[in-house]
Amino acid sequence: MTTFRISRRRLMQAAAIVPILGAPAIVRRANAQSSFDWKRYAGEKIDVALTKTPRNDYFQSVEHEFTELTGIEVSSEQIPEQQARQKQVIEFASGSPTFDVTNISLAVMKRLAGKGQWLEDLRPMLDDPEQTAPDFDFADISRGGVAFSTQADGRMDTLPCSLDYFLLYYNKELFEQAGVEFPTSMDDIVQVAAKLTKPENNVYGFVSRGLKNANVPVWMNLLFGQDIDALDAGGKLMTDTDEAIWAANLYRTLNKDYAPPGTIGFNWSECQTTFTQGYAAMWLDSTAWARAMEDPAKSRIAGKVGYGVMPAGPKASASAIFAEGIGIARGSKKKGPAWLYLQWYLNKKNQSMLVQTGAGSSARISPFKDPAVIENSPLPRAYFDMLVKSIDIGRPGLPDIIPVTEFRDTFGVALTNMIGGAEAAPELKAATEAFRPILEKSEKA
Amino acid sequence: MEGESLVLKVLRKAAFAFAVFVLVSPAILFFLWTISLSFKSEIDNMAFPPVFVPSPPTLANYETVFSRNDFLGYFINSVLVTGGAVLIGLLVGVPAGYGIARSKSSRFAIVILIARMTPALSYLIPLFIVFQLLGMVGTIGALIVTHLVITIPIIVWIMIGYFESLPAELEDAAMVDGCTTWQAFRHIAVPLARPGIVISSILAFIFSWNNFIFSVVLGGKQARTLPSAVYNVLSFEQVSWGPLAAAALLVSLPVLLLTVFAQKQIVAGLSAGGLKDG
Amino acid sequence: MTAVSPAAGLVESDEPQAESPDFKRNYWVFAVPATVVILAVIVFPWLFTVYMSFHIWEIGGGTTFVWLDNYRQLFADQRFHEALVHTLVFTLLATLIPIVLGTLAALVFHREFRGRGILRTIFVMPMMATPVAIALVWTMMFHPQLGVLNYLLSQVGIPPQAWVYSPSTVIPTLVLVEVWQWTPLVMLIVLGGLAGLPREPYESALIDGANSFQMFVHITFPLLWPFILVALIIRVIDALKVFDTIFVISSGGPGTASETINIFLYLQAFAYYNIGYASAVVVVFFAVIVAISLLMLHVRQKTKWNA
Repeated sequence: MTTFRISRRRLMQAAAIVPILGAPAIVRRANAQSSFDWKRYAGEKIDVALTKTPRNDYFQSVEHEFTELTGIEVSSEQIPEQQARQKQVIEFASGSPTFDVTNISLAVMKRLAGKGQWLEDLRPMLDDPEQTAPDFDFADISRGGVAFSTQADGRMDTLPCSLDYFLLYYNKELFEQAGVEFPTSMDDIVQVAAKLTKPENNVYGFVSRGLKNANVPVWMNLLFGQDIDALDAGGKLMTDTDEAIWAANLYRTLNKDYAPPGTIGFNWSECQTTFTQGYAAMWLDSTAWARAMEDPAKSRIAGKVGYGVMPAGPKASASAIFAEGIGIARGSKKKGPAWLYLQWYLNKKNQSMLVQTGAGSSARISPFKDPAVIENSPLPRAYFDMLVKSIDIGRPGLPDIIPVTEFRDTFGVALTNMIGGAEAAPELKAATEAFRPILEKSEKA
Repeated sequence: MEGESLVLKVLRKAAFAFAVFVLVSPAILFFLWTISLSFKSEIDNMAFPPVFVPSPPTLANYETVFSRNDFLGYFINSVLVTGGAVLIGLLVGVPAGYGIARSKSSRFAIVILIARMTPALSYLIPLFIVFQLLGMVGTIGALIVTHLVITIPIIVWIMIGYFESLPAELEDAAMVDGCTTWQAFRHIAVPLARPGIVISSILAFIFSWNNFIFSVVLGGKQARTLPSAVYNVLSFEQVSWGPLAAAALLVSLPVLLLTVFAQKQIVAGLSAGGLKDG
Repeated sequence: MTAVSPAAGLVESDEPQAESPDFKRNYWVFAVPATVVILAVIVFPWLFTVYMSFHIWEIGGGTTFVWLDNYRQLFADQRFHEALVHTLVFTLLATLIPIVLGTLAALVFHREFRGRGILRTIFVMPMMATPVAIALVWTMMFHPQLGVLNYLLSQVGIPPQAWVYSPSTVIPTLVLVEVWQWTPLVMLIVLGGLAGLPREPYESALIDGANSFQMFVHITFPLLWPFILVALIIRVIDALKVFDTIFVISSGGPGTASETINIFLYLQAFAYYNIGYASAVVVVFFAVIVAISLLMLHVRQKTKWNA
């Protein structure tokens, strides 16, 4: 029990740190005495386009609760990220999107959404006591998340609905069998992976995304270990510096020498399969997938999973953050009901359940302060300890530029080439040269 | 002498049987494996070495497909889009095939031929821009119009060939008797060409049913057809092989049934018309 | 219905034939509705694509006329060159292998044997089944660690393959799927040819004491050649157009190792939203396809064939 208390205290400390991550002007509701009514749009129907994640599996499973609360019918669907992004652009461009509410990947689509004014500014509704539930408690939503979801011109066109952190999942059983300890530094991951790789047993020390585009965040997280970003403060590309090459070499060694054959085509789902079936000892990816770890119907290693904070790099400790927002299409004719859905999506109960079930991290602070969340969770305490430490060292996982897809494709191809055996330095040089004009063009437009 | 030739005969028979086996087994194995995946639990599907025979077989994957998705809605969309495109294709395509065949207009036939050769994908961008201007993206109507790109060329193409193979004398005789061209077409040529019409509509149906990229881009949520639904909604759940296999079978079922029951017509049509959609 | 393709009719009727013009005059009326529809959904998109290819054209954004800039950029684009090579390699393999296998299959299915009908139906199924569905199942089978294919290989002592998960095997693997799917079409076309073979040459050859191999080389093959040629033309055009299976199975990856022109153009249009640039790709690709097709039709016209 003592250890538990310690971890709870640390959770609270962490929660206190979250607000510092970045603090725009706090939006307040003027009037607490409101005539707010959950049922005012009863009988309406909204369309919701969600990204395919365990988090949204949860939301779909409790959708009926929203209908009971508001009398609004929800027609929702989940679409895999990459298809979702293409669809969103197409539908928003068409002027009449077929959904009222949608998720936006803040790491990939934020600038594009802002430029195209795709989504409704949420601040007026938030300030309107008739529209916003008195117990919504906007101040409980992490300032860092709000900073993520606020556009440069001050419009807040999404609410942050999840902040996910990169971590190093590991298979405790395989570690014990090989008699090795969790790596202490990024370089150490290689040593540990080498000891765990036993191709004759179909077991590999490491797995991470190798698929073009999807693989870039993995490299970015290693890059953060050198305390640099893809772009420096002046907007100059840092992707062919010695630090970037170091990170790419690390990525190359791990995926070329110690990962299962075929990682070159793996996205997170294939990695998850490999890891949960016990064929990989470490998996570098996001907290978003923790839910499947302890589910015996899907995982053969339930109960044996370790949740490691990203080991420190040579110059910094960092965990890549991926934030997703939820917003209302500007072309929607049902903004009122849609706003109720957003409030329900972000209410304390649902956000606590997300954390508790491991379906994703929360954008709210209160779930981390609630001991019941940890106590009732199928996930072990180690998961929450990891989460807290990761929050401390979180860092946006992708650069804040418009052509994120081209960035990920261009450098993604370089990384797959490296898994195939190509040298890191020339690949990165070539990719940087190829991407620079695209970036310049987008900044001009 | 006698014995040797018997051995040879048996050997030859065995070799032939082996050839048949080699030819057919990839298709059989593929479909058996898909069926097996669709009836197994998730753990069995992920097992290595693989579990081949579902024991006990489970319907859970099919339940997942229907309960988690609006599968029936997608099915109706598919029927509307494909049905609409085939129907309109027949309405304009059969007369066109007749006109081209009888007037021997090769220029028109070349346009149709090139249309058959053009990748369907290349129509997508301009049509998308137009539907965007018209505010029709995400409607069944837009999809039907787009699928005409698939159905019209194949129907016209096959009908040209069919009408060419019909002797014109009957119609000529009727027209000498005072029949109009339309009457000759309607009452003499069309009834005679019925087998050709059946063939072309079956093939147009299959190619239109199987198309998915139009619906991925233009379908939106309300007008999504089955193939794009399977791709969009299920594909990334690669952790769930069972539901994916179940969905794959369900989507293909109508065309596979058609293949079984209309094999003769399809064989005739394909060896005549040939080009699949793109 | 005979196996004679309308293309034959087309080629034959190149010269206008003047027979009983009284009745022929108003046949064009029948083609009017189709003409209107075709102009709207087929010809107009062609022209509009050419128009867009002269612009920088953003989805939902503005347009700028840039004359030939897109084409200039395209011809200098390394990725496009690679896509072109991938397309040609894929097309070559996905044409020749099905032609050989399909012809052999036709010879097999031409014989009478028990269960022929049902087995032929099964053999034809891959080409009818929805390509997306097929592609998804193949993807599962290609899984390097859990896939059933590697298990089957291990049973006969072959080491596991990376299939579509390696740049060096991805194109051959995609060809494998294409061969599996489309060999039946070649089989059907050649089977149609076999059905129409005359008997006399064989009878006289038998009298001359020819064995079956000699008969195949000297009689069957030359008679079948026109049909094989038709199958060849169809295969080339189809292989150039393949999109669904590659898109679903590899999306052009790993990296860009299997990126064909179709995939390249889709990504440019709907992932990077460079509509103008993508239109230029369409125009160039269209020109390539039409040129190849017409060339092959020309070749076919040259080789005498008329039953």
